[in-house]
Amino acid sequence: MNGFLSTYGFLIVSMVMGALLGLSLYLPLMTGQLSLASPGFYALGGYIAAILSTQVFKVSDGLYPIGLVLLEMSIAGVVSGVLGVLVGIPALRLRGIYLAIATIAFVEVLRVLSLNLDITGGAVGIFGIPQPFLTPIEYLWIAIPLLLVTMVLLYRLERIRLGRAFTAIREDELAAGAMGIDPTHYKVLAFTLGAILAGVVGAVSAHFLNTWNARQGTFDASIVYLTSVLIGGTRTFVGPVLGGMVFTALPEVLRAIADTAGLPLWLAQFLRDGRLIIFGVLIVLGTIFFPQGLVTPDLFKRQKNRKSHS
Amino acid sequence: MNPPIPLLEIRELYVNYGGIQALQNINLTVNAGEVVTLIGANGAGKSTTLRAISRLINPRSGQIVYQGRDITRRPPHEVVRLGIAHSPEGRRVLARQTVLDNLELGAYTRSNSAEVKADLDRQFEIFPRLAERRLQLAGTLSGGEQQMLALARALMSRPKLLLLDEPSLGLAPAIVREIFSIIRDLRATGVTILLVEQNAKLALESGDRGYVLEAGRITLTGQAANLLNDDQVRKAYLG
Ligand SMILES: Nc1ncnc2c1ncn2[C@@H]1O[C@H](COP(=O)(O)OP(=O)(O)OP(=O)(O)O)[C@@H](O)[C@H]1O
Ligand SMILES: [Mg+2]
Repeated sequence: MNGFLSTYGFLIVSMVMGALLGLSLYLPLMTGQLSLASPGFYALGGYIAAILSTQVFKVSDGLYPIGLVLLEMSIAGVVSGVLGVLVGIPALRLRGIYLAIATIAFVEVLRVLSLNLDITGGAVGIFGIPQPFLTPIEYLWIAIPLLLVTMVLLYRLERIRLGRAFTAIREDELAAGAMGIDPTHYKVLAFTLGAILAGVVGAVSAHFLNTWNARQGTFDASIVYLTSVLIGGTRTFVGPVLGGMVFTALPEVLRAIADTAGLPLWLAQFLRDGRLIIFGVLIVLGTIFFPQGLVTPDLFKRQKNRKSHS
Repeated sequence: MNPPIPLLEIRELYVNYGGIQALQNINLTVNAGEVVTLIGANGAGKSTTLRAISRLINPRSGQIVYQGRDITRRPPHEVVRLGIAHSPEGRRVLARQTVLDNLELGAYTRSNSAEVKADLDRQFEIFPRLAERRLQLAGTLSGGEQQMLALARALMSRPKLLLLDEPSLGLAPAIVREIFSIIRDLRATGVTILLVEQNAKLALESGDRGYVLEAGRITLTGQAANLLNDDQVRKAYLG
């Protein structure tokens, strides 16, 4: 068991983080906004934690206090939230593919900034981010509660007035407006909630990965999390959670397959480096054959109906 | 008799869609308790008039005054709060949600849940077909049932002014009669209605006054009974 955990600990924590990032994309999607801004806020949150822990708090001996990690997470959440409102208000005037492009541009702007600023360590990034735990797997102490809390909140959200407003806007913004729901207000809110979540996850990830640089939270990451949500499911939060886990693990699985003996060289090469191609093909096939993703609310409803009929 | 109190007054309203002038110099009044009918050919600007009132589009100029308040620049959700409900053209129900969800969303602006519950029961009384199908997804309802849902949903906001855009569109005669009898009942309970209809005869028969819209302008207005007997109207709209 210990051997397993030390081999796969890193992957398991990454999968939980992947689920959380999938949810951060899912939140704006609840109001019908295809936003790819999450990796930008994720990068931002990571830099906040990296800078605070290496330059402000500077705990020199022993393990880094978890309290400080939680503090960094809160600060990252607040800053991401404020930036989320500022970016969200103008960006959410755009729809569909235009919003997606604008948010990709936002992520790029942050990336270029982080490459060129001193405080973010330029191209090199920030090294030696202190560890609150001895082994990677222990990051689950933060990641799992964070995921559970987020899932419980989303479960509640999908059932209260606010969540209904979100869904109404996604289905028909004009009709929602005619029912007295203010679409702009809720779209900015959903976008901001997604931003906060991504920022908080970034703060944890910075510690988890030990270093933080401009390669975190790039367009590649957007594609991975977009795949998680689109294939996992866009109609219930369970979809992005499962999708985020599976698609975070997928490249590792592919790499493992590539390492098995006897594969033709080109195939092994493709499995190792063709990640984005594979994700792209999955998105295309998934949206054609499973327009709502694999996990749909009907899956649960059918169960419920069966129970109530008997 | 007291002079009628205007609930809604539209003054010199102009609406453009890009370069197209959809409405020109519209002056229209709806008094409290009235059913006012707006008739006109396809593309005359009837839906545009309703959209301007519920603020789903922005007029270029002119004024919309409701209960003495200028609402020309208010956002749509505020207008709903003030008591204007719009049942838009093409029965825009939320297809993936249940009948019940749609109705509850219709009461989105209201906070007194006991009253909302009572109104919900009332809608199910008025529309027994909806009561039987309360957990069915709205998108799987028949066209007539969707129209009833759109109407019931609009009523869930307890409107003082109800804007109805072609409630009879594409419905069988029996259902059309049912819808219009509901409209007459609503009128009897004091709801003010601005009604857009292709079925000019039924609409004018159920209404107090009417306006005729042609290519974005009001060309004729008067008591519904007079319009019904007007030669021009008979020729153009009553067949
Ligand atoms: N979103 C839009 N963009 C551009 N033009 C529009 C738009 N909506 C309506 N129009 C134009 O404005 C004019 C009035 O349209 P409107 O929908 O108000 O007509 P209507 O009287 O309701 O017709 P119908 O009886 O067919 O529903 C039409 O010429 C229509 O083509
Ligand atoms: Mg129309």
